[in-house]
Amino acid sequence: MVSYRTRRTISTIAVHGILITACLGVLFPLIWILRTSFAHRVIAYRIPPEWFFQPTWDNYVMIFKNHPFHLFFANSLIVALVSTLVCLIIGAPAAYSFSRFRTGGNAVRVSVLTTQMLPAITLVIPFFLMFRWVGLHNTRTGLALTYITFNIPFIIWILIGFFEGIPRELDESAMIDGCTRFSSFVRVIVPISLPGMLSAGVFSFVLCWNEFLFALILTGKKSKTLPVAVSALITQQGTEIGAVCAATMLIIVPMILLYFGFRRFLIKGMVAGAVKE
Amino acid sequence: MTPKSRVNRIFQFKYNMMLPALLVLSAVILIPLGYSFYISLHKYILQFGLGKWVILKNYERAFQDTEFLISMKNTFVLTFSVVSLEFLIALGLALLLSREDLRFRYIYTVILMIPIMIPPIAVGLIWRLLLHPDLGIVNYLLGLFGVPRLGWLGDPRLAMPAVIGVDVWHETSLILIILLAGLSSLDRTPFEAAKVDGASAIQTFFYITLPMLSPIILVALLIRMIAAIKTYDLIYILTRGGPGFRTETMSYYVYKMAFRKMLMGDAAAMSFILLLIILLFSLILIKVIGERSR
Repeated sequence: MVSYRTRRTISTIAVHGILITACLGVLFPLIWILRTSFAHRVIAYRIPPEWFFQPTWDNYVMIFKNHPFHLFFANSLIVALVSTLVCLIIGAPAAYSFSRFRTGGNAVRVSVLTTQMLPAITLVIPFFLMFRWVGLHNTRTGLALTYITFNIPFIIWILIGFFEGIPRELDESAMIDGCTRFSSFVRVIVPISLPGMLSAGVFSFVLCWNEFLFALILTGKKSKTLPVAVSALITQQGTEIGAVCAATMLIIVPMILLYFGFRRFLIKGMVAGAVKE
Repeated sequence: MTPKSRVNRIFQFKYNMMLPALLVLSAVILIPLGYSFYISLHKYILQFGLGKWVILKNYERAFQDTEFLISMKNTFVLTFSVVSLEFLIALGLALLLSREDLRFRYIYTVILMIPIMIPPIAVGLIWRLLLHPDLGIVNYLLGLFGVPRLGWLGDPRLAMPAVIGVDVWHETSLILIILLAGLSSLDRTPFEAAKVDGASAIQTFFYITLPMLSPIILVALLIRMIAAIKTYDLIYILTRGGPGFRTETMSYYVYKMAFRKMLMGDAAAMSFILLLIILLFSLILIKVIGERSR
């Protein structure tokens, strides 16, 4: 019989082995793309790969000069920001109303859940047709409008959780001091719930940034967002590997930055409603 | 202030606060849905505009459309594989990460949570490049171990497994995040009692951990299942539904119907069938796991 000591060592090695393998599996594809984005064309295509080479900015220069990736980046940014802000402004009062007064009761929970269940394609078809009448096709405004569909329910869901955590005494003491219900909300509750707003906001921003189907159908040359633009780099004529890698990094880097900057907020958002604190 | 007018004030306030959200949501969800349903009852070819009223014919024809049925099968295969694999792997990782005295726990956790942050399109692009039969690094590395050159996304037998694999790479970290949050929110007491009573790790897992986690597991599975049934982005970037129709999901087929074949009426009908399937399975899942946790 192996000693307890030995068994423990073996299990520790096994555990770390598994975790390290998983981590490598996560990091390797990303690092590979990063590496290839800095590779000169010839090197990018070469198999067996050259492990050491002189890095170059060529690919990045190309996506900004040959394609207007700065425009696509701006489109993604604007649509995501506007959408998120509008949803926060509309969603916060609604979440507050539900949290304090249970307005709408069960219907709220049910509708939040059902809106999550809607496949994007079910909405894209009517939006596509309707936008053509009102001229919202190929506009950032139109796209931002459609993003509200999946963002508001999420934001309301997350914010309800946060508002529940703020004691009602706070609302009431503000009112005793002379505020109306509304100004007590705006002046007292909102500032306190800023972390929650940040959670909901960052999470919503990420959803908008990554969204593909609505953008694919509803945007055109001018209003394309990053995901659509990047996918268009893979054409029938073939793939410019270096450019694709550079463009991919362009999409990924803001998300990674948000991840490391707002990790706690993001996770709180993702978990809200799933786990009772 | 009389009680009645005070109640009136609250009444006004709470509904006024809800109003903007309610209005916007109705405009932005109910109207398109309504219009879509209306369309699904007509024949509608894009170039010709709204055609004639055909009641539920589009729905009937959908079920006779072989490609639609194939896409249904693919969707089920994908969803089932993806949800079970991701759940099992995430559970395993979550348990490992929750071990006491785990060194580097923080680093492992941070790294393992990265994939879900990557946009699905980027994930698809990355793996499409990696899995390229000739230029991709995966085949090269496998070749070093003597594995023959595989077709991956182009190979009829490997395409779906490859898509499943990519999805697992991407989404497992989401389940991991939820499970970790769940595990850390569990009350320690039952575990300590079990230790005192001499329960083995396996017994602790099945009789304590699992039951206590089940509401959270339900939510994680539900979220994941709904998203998996809707899979579109990955298919578009990785395979465009190919080879043949082998990786076509329902979402992708509806897209094809609407924007390639231009058959809006049929597409709308199919999109509602998809919605109904999602509702159905969500209800089933809620019931099944809901019962279990009694």
